[in-house]
Amino acid sequence: MTIGWENLPKVEGGPFKRAFFRWFQPVMLVALIAFWYYAPNDWAVASTAITLGIGFKIFLLGLEWVNPRFKSWQLTWKEFAVDLFYVGMGYTIVRTLSSYVGDDVIIGAVQSAFAWEKFAWFMTMPLLLQAFLISFMFDFGQYWMHRGMHNWYPLWLTHAPHHYITQLNINKGAVGNPIELFLIGLGVGGFFDFLPRAFLLAGSLGLAVSIYQHINVRFDPPNWWRTIFNTTEHHSVHHSQDYEASRSNYSATWIFIDRMFGTAVDGEAEALGMEGGRSMSIKETMHFPFTEGWKSIKERFQRRNLPAVPAE
Amino acid sequence: MNTRFFDWIWHVRDSIDLPAGQSHDEAMARLEPLFHERGTTYERFGNSLSFGKKGQPAQDKMSVYDRGELLVETHAGGSRLRYHLVSRAFLYCFLAPLLFLALAQVNNAISHYERAKAEAAGETETDKDKDEAIELPQSSIDKFLGAPTPEIPGEDKDEDKQIGPSPTPAYVFAGIFVVLFIAGRILEPYLVKRLFRRRLFGLDEDATPASATPTAA
Repeated sequence: MTIGWENLPKVEGGPFKRAFFRWFQPVMLVALIAFWYYAPNDWAVASTAITLGIGFKIFLLGLEWVNPRFKSWQLTWKEFAVDLFYVGMGYTIVRTLSSYVGDDVIIGAVQSAFAWEKFAWFMTMPLLLQAFLISFMFDFGQYWMHRGMHNWYPLWLTHAPHHYITQLNINKGAVGNPIELFLIGLGVGGFFDFLPRAFLLAGSLGLAVSIYQHINVRFDPPNWWRTIFNTTEHHSVHHSQDYEASRSNYSATWIFIDRMFGTAVDGEAEALGMEGGRSMSIKETMHFPFTEGWKSIKERFQRRNLPAVPAE
Repeated sequence: MNTRFFDWIWHVRDSIDLPAGQSHDEAMARLEPLFHERGTTYERFGNSLSFGKKGQPAQDKMSVYDRGELLVETHAGGSRLRYHLVSRAFLYCFLAPLLFLALAQVNNAISHYERAKAEAAGETETDKDKDEAIELPQSSIDKFLGAPTPEIPGEDKDEDKQIGPSPTPAYVFAGIFVVLFIAGRILEPYLVKRLFRRRLFGLDEDATPASATPTAA
């Protein structure tokens, strides 16, 4: 593991390549914000965001081939297929379940009893401020949910399978037990979908920042970017095989939340995973929280029922 | 029943001519390091080698295969490496479209149920007139910068609005996995043949096991 921005390798190549991988992330963020800020109302809809998101992911998959961060993280056919399986689960089972038992239900109920004029004060703020507040509130909730997953065993059981990945690629964010994906998606951010433009602007921060958490691209962004936003460097430390290092960088978008609570570690790691890099199958990922939970409960009861040994 | 008619889905069988004069011992010695990976066990008996993999990491160049046998056969015309590899990943990828088609049908069933429920309750009638009458506020900064005037989300605009979960993503993923299976079933056997050939002919520059020696920690 490497600690400190000054110790990380730089992008190698000609001036165009170096400039491209230095400024790609900030330029894309500004471009996406400008798009959602000025897009006609007919375009500012969820389907546009989904199409943009898929197109952007395909482009980023290409970048992984052009300038990989580590050769050992190179995407293989099997990894790609497995990642897409989890993405598919997210778009089908998890989405369907969320619409019936997730935050969508609560938010929908609140919204149906909602008087628009009561939120007029929020809408009088500049759009970018609205978007920042929505994004910050969502990420703040996600920070504590994620930190809770690393500090409370029942939640950790749902999150642990995600930490068995041994490399970062663009779709690796979807890899994990569906319960975890459901829990991590909970948040108050969805409440603001009645403000389509601010909501989509907030979503574009996710698309232009948190999407890079799991990516195998050697970027070399300016230090102000790494000070404010979460990056693949931060997230590789979070996924490292080093236990202490993995208890850091919990936010998804705004790394300054980690800085506020003293959990930010600036650096990068190549050797990722758990148990020295053991791979976890899809089958084990699906049953891990239940079987491990059951084992833990059994062990606890067995310890309680052990006969007391008299002191000699 | 001859399973070879359909087991090609997850079984790979092929062969490579060894370089002239290469003994089976030398051939196996060149191939053996490929099995010094984490999660891989193997046994070598003279001119044959069998292996199994469990929890193989992504960095293993043969991670797509779970078990297999390699055999060097010697004929009058020279020697040949025959191999038979088995991949559960191919099988699961082949079956994945069926799973997603089934999920699409579940979503269709839920949608039909939701639509029937909505129609019975007379909920298809919308009260959008009420919402459209409201004028939403906009920051003077956004007005100055030329952002479009806000509108209440235009739900219920489509007469054929989706009620309940949409089956479309499941259909899309079923299609993706069909393409993925065809691509993988062609690509991975080609890659493993190239890997074996490079090892046998001494052309492989990177001969160290990828996952046995982490490069950073």
